[in-house]
Order: sequence, then structure tokens, then C-alpha cells
Amino acid sequence: MRALAISLFSVALTTIVVANAYYQKKQFYPSVVYITKSNPSMAVIYIQAFILVLLTGKLMSKVFFGQLRTAEFEHLMERAWYAITETCLAFTVFRDDFTPKFVALFTLLLFLKSFHWLAEDRVDYMERSPVISMLFHMRVLFLLLVLGSLDFHFVQHAYQSTMTNGASVQLVFGFEYAILLTMVANITIKYVLHTIDLSSDAPWEDKAVFLLYTELVMGLIKVILYVAFVAIMVRIHTLPLFAFRPMYYTIRDFKKAFNDVILSRRAIHNMNTLYPDATPEELQAADNVCIICREEMTTASKKLPCNHIFHTACLRSWFQRQQTCPTCRLNILRAPTPTTQQPRQEQRPRPQPVPNPFGAPLPFFNPFQPLPNENAQAPAPDANQAVPPTTPPAQTTIPQPSRQGGTQQPPLPQFTVSPFMPFSFPRFMSPPPIPPQNFRSLSSEELRRMEGNERENVEARIKCLQNIQVMLDAAVLMMNQYTLSIATSSTMPSPVPQTSTETTNGNAEPTATSNSSKETEEPNDNSSSSGSSASVGSSNASNHASVSLTETDSTVISPEEELRRRRLQRFQQPVEQQQ
Amino acid sequence: MAGSALRRLMAEYKQLTLNPPEGIIAGPINEENFFEWEALITGPEGTCFEGGVFPAKLIFPPDYPLSPPKMQFTCEMFHPNIYADGRVCISILHAPGDDPMGYESSAERWSPVQSVEKILLSVVSMLAEPNDESGANVDAAKMWRENRDEFNKIAERIVRRTLGIPT
Repeated sequence: MRALAISLFSVALTTIVVANAYYQKKQFYPSVVYITKSNPSMAVIYIQAFILVLLTGKLMSKVFFGQLRTAEFEHLMERAWYAITETCLAFTVFRDDFTPKFVALFTLLLFLKSFHWLAEDRVDYMERSPVISMLFHMRVLFLLLVLGSLDFHFVQHAYQSTMTNGASVQLVFGFEYAILLTMVANITIKYVLHTIDLSSDAPWEDKAVFLLYTELVMGLIKVILYVAFVAIMVRIHTLPLFAFRPMYYTIRDFKKAFNDVILSRRAIHNMNTLYPDATPEELQAADNVCIICREEMTTASKKLPCNHIFHTACLRSWFQRQQTCPTCRLNILRAPTPTTQQPRQEQRPRPQPVPNPFGAPLPFFNPFQPLPNENAQAPAPDANQAVPPTTPPAQTTIPQPSRQGGTQQPPLPQFTVSPFMPFSFPRFMSPPPIPPQNFRSLSSEELRRMEGNERENVEARIKCLQNIQVMLDAAVLMMNQYTLSIATSSTMPSPVPQTSTETTNGNAEPTATSNSSKETEEPNDNSSSSGSSASVGSSNASNHASVSLTETDSTVISPEEELRRRRLQRFQQPVEQQQ
Repeated sequence: MAGSALRRLMAEYKQLTLNPPEGIIAGPINEENFFEWEALITGPEGTCFEGGVFPAKLIFPPDYPLSPPKMQFTCEMFHPNIYADGRVCISILHAPGDDPMGYESSAERWSPVQSVEKILLSVVSMLAEPNDESGANVDAAKMWRENRDEFNKIAERIVRRTLGIPT
């Protein structure tokens, strides 16, 4: 309403001025001269021109955009104010050739810039709008065409005028329009990508990557343009203060795009090398919904070390932000090795049927059972206490004969070696009881209790990890003794019988260790195996590494576990209150 | 196919309308813009906010669910974890990087696993049990700790106001 009143008022003023001039001079040419000579009349004419520009802008935006959204309008206003300030700064540089034509050119630049911003916002909005009509496509295409050709024309014009007349203010326009031209290119690429995505029924997973690279290339071009512009301006005129703010933002955006590309590449690399694709059986076993996008996982999906399955594309975009598992916050960069993987798996046991390649239930050492020598009062593992043995299929193919081959220790027929027990039990440990063989015998109530967020379960897990650590420490000790004896036997021609028995005693253990550690590493990382040749030195080294990893892990876990427990409790509270 | 953020928001909206959690209603203000939602939360029973119906606004970022939404109560609130302008300050709404109060561990932060429903349930539990260590509203935190009767009175007044009952 107010805008209408203002424009009507200005039209009235202009009419009065023109009528007055014509009334005084009676002829066309003298009256034009009269108006241009009189300052008040010129002021009125300028105001009228300004209002005409605004009205044209309104009309254009009606044609190309229809109703502007509130967010778009706010965005436009915010950017427009900065642009106007910078234009005023630019005027100070070119105060010598400050003419109405010059002002008009800057106004036109501003005018076109705002249309570029609006077009950018509109195209970004494509991804978020539930309905994209045909009209939208027509408008965007036409607008991009018009903007692109205008920019190109102005760049060409600026180039020619600079070539013929030497450096002038046209240099500024040339660069500004060149930057706008890159913007048009950027918007066009985005538009094409969005359109392709919209027209297909399945989500297009590589779109995010394409967008990232577009951003990077366009950012680079803009940075080069700005740097060249500032350098030329410094040589010819003076420091172009008005270009600094946009240059700073461009460089910042470019840096961000660069970082994003690096992070994304790293995430893709990690996913391709470290994590296996989820098999159809695993997808069937889980509830088959990617928890990031809440859609069915029929396309490519990955399994993290913590057994959580997500879409590859969803994971990639999340890993760009953060290198943790979205569900359990396992740091995937710090813990890609199987030694940390195993306890983690057991912490969040998802009751999944484990495919058993041998058909018969496997006897399995349960690491969560407190060792008898450490906790004599530990109750027998009934179904409530035992954690379900979720083993990946690869684990079940442990080379068993290698242990029984050369060992001097009494055979223990009740159980077989698991990756947690790469060496035979010390004599003072009795074989642990066998956990329930499959889940069918458990009621759903018992299964729920096994999920185990209560304090006692957590304590039992920590205890188990400590047990593992003790066992690994023992293994390291034996290793050391073993290498020592090798060294002494090689230096001394006639070995002492005591050491020789120790050598044979320990002989079976490192091979078993290296075998099983290789076995567990295989599903994750083929490149970093401990070496199948299993020379003493390498197996020893790998054992050291695994021990230190376990140590750090067991110390790290307890606070993390505590935090997770607290978080889960927080979620349970509201549910309980609801009930 | 529309953007992933939009599809996820639509899925959550569907889920919330099909199986609404008790005491919570949420949905887009306008079905043409799925990135602004309105939620109605009833005060948890047995607390000083019992019986109240509190309207709130949820604004989702374009990269949802990778970034958390913002939540703001549109009615007057007096609570240790709600700013005077209605913004909600709970750890689940903070991205793992930023830590406005400097005490939250990353384990309690936003992750794509969270959802509108979980946020709203967390807010309900926050209404029931304020965390007086995070001082989004220091006056409220102080009063909650030292003068519970006064706090309850103010809460009751707010509850009455949200229901349109004269205080």
C-alpha cells in the first residue's frame, strides 16, 4: 500500500515537473534543456528513475519467481545491504568519473546481482520442496538463459572497452560480471543435478559428490578471479576495498569446499577399504531400515565394525561431518582394527541369528563370563547373565589343529579356541561353561535382559575386558620368553634343556595367535595382515600391537560405556513416564 | 526423487501421525514447507507442568538429519533449560562440535539416529527433570534449586496461561 502511494506520488511529481517545463518553454527541446539544467527537476527525475527500477524489479521477480518466500526475501535484503555498501565504497575509488551513467551501470549491476541470488536460492529450494511444477522449470531455465547471456554480453563489452580505451571503471564491471557468470554456471549445474535427481524414482547417491566437486571448481575459479582483480586494481588504481569482503567469503567458501572434498574422499576411501558391504542375509537379519534416512536398504549399504548397517551414501555424508558410528558413536578412524571390534560387538548385542556354517552349534568361549579365579562367587551363567554370542561367520573358521599340533599341554576337549583365547588356558583356569546354544531356547523376556544396560552387566563386561587384557599380557610374557630362548639357543650351540622345553611349549602358541589374529583381521582389512609367513618377529610384533590396542580400549571403554548408559537411561525415562 | 532431508522429514511426519507418542503432536505448519514444524507438548504428569499444553516451533536445517533442528517454545516458559525467548537448550539438539555450556560430552549430542520423536520425548523428560547445571535460564535454575515452591507457582501460572484459564 505504502509502495503504491510512493510510486503514485513520484509519478505525480514527475508529471508536475514535466508539465511545468513544457508550460514554460512550449517546445520539446527547450523543455528538456530546462529540466536538465534545473537541479530540483533532475532530483525528481532521478527519484522517478529509481522507483521505475524498483518497479521493474518487482515485475521481473513476479515473472521469474512468482511470490518470493519469506526466507528468500530476508536473504535478498541482507545481501543487498552489503552490496550497496560496497558499491558506495567503489564510488570512492572512481570519484573522478562519477557520472549518472556510472551510477546507472552500478545500479544495473546490483539489480542483476539480486536476480542471481534469488535464482540461487530458488534452485537450492528445489531439493526441499515436495512439489516442483512445470512452471518452475520454465521459469528457472528462462531466467538462467537471460542472466547468462546478459552476463556474457557485459563481460564482452567490458573486455572490448578495456582493450580499445585502456583500463577504466569497465574493469570492475568486467570482473563483477565474470563472477556472476561463474555463479550462473554453478546454478545451472546444480539445477541440472537436481532435475536429474527429481526425475528418477530411486535416490541418486552420487549427487552429493557431484555437488561437492562443482562447489570446489567454482570456488577455485572465483578465487582466481578475485585475486587477479585485486592484483590488477592495485597496479592500476588503488586498493579495491570494496572487493575485500566478497573475496574473503569466496576464499572461506573455497576452503570449506576443499575440506569437504578431502573429508568426503577420506570417508569414501574408508568405506571402500575398511568396511564390508552388508550381505542380503545381514540386511534381512537387521530391520532393514537405514536409520539415517529411514528408508529401506535395498541399494548399496555398508556394515561398520560395530555391526551397524547404513546406506553407503548416508554414511558418506555423515562421515563428512563426523567419523563416528551414528548409532553407537564408535570412532571409526581410531578403531578400525578387529581387536577393538570384538568387544564392541558384544557390547551392543543385537539378537541376530548367526549363520552357522557347520550346522551344529559351536562351543564358544564366552569372554563375558568372569574368570573363576578372579571371581569365585560368579554365578553360573544362566540365560539372564550370559551375553548372546554374536559371532561373525569368519570367526567360526578358527584353525583348530594348529593348536593341538605341537602343544605339550593336556588336551582340553570341552572347548575350542576362539579369537579371544588365542593361546590355551593356563592350568589354573577351569574351562568356562558353555553359553546357550541358540536363541530359540530363550524367551523374549530373557533376550531383553541380555541387552544389558544395567550396572551389573556393564561391570561384567568391563571385568571380561580386564580378563582379556590379563590373558594377552600373559601371552606377551610368553612371547618374550620365547624370543629370549630363541636368541640364547642361536647364540649358544648347546641349549639348556630348560629353555628348549619352553621353546616347544611356546611354539604352538605364536602360530595360533598369528593365525587367529589374521583370521579376525581378514573381514575388515586385507592389506594390514600380520603376515602369513608368521615369522617369529612379525607375529611377536603384531601381538604387541594387539595387546596395546586392547589395553587402550579397555581403559577407554569404561567412561564411554558409562556415558552411553546414561544416555540410554535418559531415553528410557520419558518412555516410562509415558506409560 | 526429492532431497533426502525432505524424504526423511516426510517419513518422520508419517510415522508421527500413524503412531503418535502419548502427549505429543507434531507436524509441518504448512505442507508445502516441511522444514518448519509445530509441536504441541503436554506437561508430564506428576510434575509442576502437569496439564499444560505447550506449543513449540521446530526449524530444520537443509542438511537434516546431519545437523540438528532448532526448537523454540512459542509460549511463555520458565524453566532452567529454556532461554527466555523460548529456545530449548538440551544436548540432543547440539551438534557434536559446539558446546554452548561447555559441559556436554559428545555421547549425548545430535546424531542422525535421533528423530523428532526422540527430541520431543527428551523435551518432555527435561520438563519433568530440569538440569539445573546448564543455565539457559539462570533465574529459573536458581529458583528450582532453592525455592521450589515459588518455581511450582510460576509453572502453574504458565500452565494455566497455556490453557487459557485466567490466573
